[in-house]
Amino acid sequence: MHTIRKFFLKRQPVFITVIAVVLAFFVVGIILAATDRNPFNAVYYFVRGAFGNVVNTADTISRVIPLTIAGIAFLVGAQCAVFNVGIEGQLLLGAMASAIVGYVVKLPAYLHLPLMLLSGALVGGLYGLIPAWLKTKRGVNEILSTIMLNYPATYLTHFLVLKVIPIEGVVPATPFIEDTARLPILIEGTQLHAGVFVMILVVIFAYFLLYKTSLGYEMRAVGYNKTAARFHGIPVEKRMNFAFFLSGALAGLAGAVEVAGVHYRFLDQFSPGYGYDSITVALVGLLNPFGVVISATLFGALKTGILEMSVYSGIPRQLTTLINGIVVLFVAAKDILGGGYARIFRGKDTYEAEKEISQ
Amino acid sequence: MNWSETLQAIFNVTLLASTIRVSISIILAGMGEMITERSGVLNIGVEGTMLMGALAGALGSYFTGNPWIGLLAAGIVGMLVGLLFSFIAISLHSDQSITGLAIYLLCVGLSGYLLQVIFEHGGNSPMVNTLPTLHMKFLENVPVLGPIFNDQSSIAIPVLLIPVILQIVFYRTPWGSWLRAAGENPKALAVVGKNPVKIRYIATLCGSFLAGIGGAYLSISQTSLFSENMVAGRGFIALSAVIFGGVKPGGVFLACIFFGFMDALQKTLQTVIPDTIMPRELFMALPYLLTLFALAGFIKKSGGPADIGNPYLKESR
Repeated sequence: MHTIRKFFLKRQPVFITVIAVVLAFFVVGIILAATDRNPFNAVYYFVRGAFGNVVNTADTISRVIPLTIAGIAFLVGAQCAVFNVGIEGQLLLGAMASAIVGYVVKLPAYLHLPLMLLSGALVGGLYGLIPAWLKTKRGVNEILSTIMLNYPATYLTHFLVLKVIPIEGVVPATPFIEDTARLPILIEGTQLHAGVFVMILVVIFAYFLLYKTSLGYEMRAVGYNKTAARFHGIPVEKRMNFAFFLSGALAGLAGAVEVAGVHYRFLDQFSPGYGYDSITVALVGLLNPFGVVISATLFGALKTGILEMSVYSGIPRQLTTLINGIVVLFVAAKDILGGGYARIFRGKDTYEAEKEISQ
Repeated sequence: MNWSETLQAIFNVTLLASTIRVSISIILAGMGEMITERSGVLNIGVEGTMLMGALAGALGSYFTGNPWIGLLAAGIVGMLVGLLFSFIAISLHSDQSITGLAIYLLCVGLSGYLLQVIFEHGGNSPMVNTLPTLHMKFLENVPVLGPIFNDQSSIAIPVLLIPVILQIVFYRTPWGSWLRAAGENPKALAVVGKNPVKIRYIATLCGSFLAGIGGAYLSISQTSLFSENMVAGRGFIALSAVIFGGVKPGGVFLACIFFGFMDALQKTLQTVIPDTIMPRELFMALPYLLTLFALAGFIKKSGGPADIGNPYLKESR
């Protein structure tokens, strides 16, 4: 018993989050049932759509890529007390910049592809510096400023594909990028592309930066307690500015990877809200780089699953945003579960168990 | 057109009338959020509350044919959203910013979902009856004021009076002092026997009621239907106006009018300046950019309540 209790107490945050997510989906089920949609039917089509065959599974993984990178983007900010809700805008601008570099520049692949991805990251990062300046120099709440900055970014990319850059075909989009700027497809006939390796690199990078370098340590210190960090001589504003830049850059990279691996051009409104999903993904992933991969898998499956679901069971695709909101709400409110959880797994030997945890 | 004609085509009473028209929803949401913030609660989800209000307003008007019932429904639905927020942010002491964000996402999703489920097609609701406009005979011959205030929505003038009422309530009544104390120093308020949690709940519910009405104004007065995401950032602009106006009735009111003016100006300029010189998309980005500029030009100390964003914990010292 003792070991079991210890196991569950030690992993309290993980299990609480899992319970919160399960409860959130339970509520979603109730909403479906309340609006005359069969939740079990929904689950069936959802699983079939997400994992039903090789193509669907590969597509799910291809959705996990931008969600993970964008989730990491939110995470590196949030770990440093920066709540970057502007990932959607940074992602769009990054995608646009990389698409332009992708079709204008002529270079061999080993230069073109990195240049294209880096230009996306750079533009996203620079856009992230605007709320950074507003926050650290002007004291403007970054949630507000980053949300507002999503609108100009959307309109700007919309404007560019409609009126500046010549359109190929009927859809508003940039011309296709050169072959040298494309990420190769891994499984023929699916959307799964080599961006998955970029994703793995980003996860490892975030882990090493945050947990194995002094810069990352200082960023987390700022996130944990700004005042204490300041007294320890950590330049709080500088670290937050860096977190803004890095967060924006990763968001831009997520957009660039979508262009290089999926669309091969900037397609107007190509992002099904990856930027907003990234918040949910990062929070459910407990702001841990590896946790983000797991939760991105869940939400990636949701993205592909919901497509099939909306076609076959008449459930509107707006359900995704609704699920996001409910999940974040439950994750935000999960502390209420903490008390009961601890009570269940605590016994007479609580004291010993807690002592061992604290060691 | 020469320059003076162009300027006359832009700056005239029509612009001022349209400023009032587009400001009403921002004023409602801004005043609501100001009450909430004064009590020490930061509700970032006001955009979502407005969206649900807009949907409830359109549905109420659609199913009963009476836009006033729609308006009432919007207020009630707004309060329900506010209640959910309050429970999680105030009673469970969750992070107010993250809870507000979750409420925003939830409402965007829920309003879009319900629209689709109820009318079986996305994008827009059918046309609904709108609130009547108010035409005052005695204003007909008054220059400037006549064209500005006549034929506005019938809730326009009451809404313009809200800041005055709040100024009195905030600074001349005991409720106002309790409200402000809940935001400045809830522990001191508890010492004199008032319950800060209760006051924060009431303030958040009042604020959400107004935000819901502000949303309904968009769907049953300014236009006559609900369309997906129709609030389009006005909730966030209202939040900015609260900061910009120093969380005080007069200041917030002026800030709302200022942002409303920018929006009206942007709409007028779109019609006057040809698309080739300044494209429509860039005009549409203007209100958001101007709001950010306004915030950036603003001094760091906003004069807001001291205890904003912090949960009230009875046990802590």
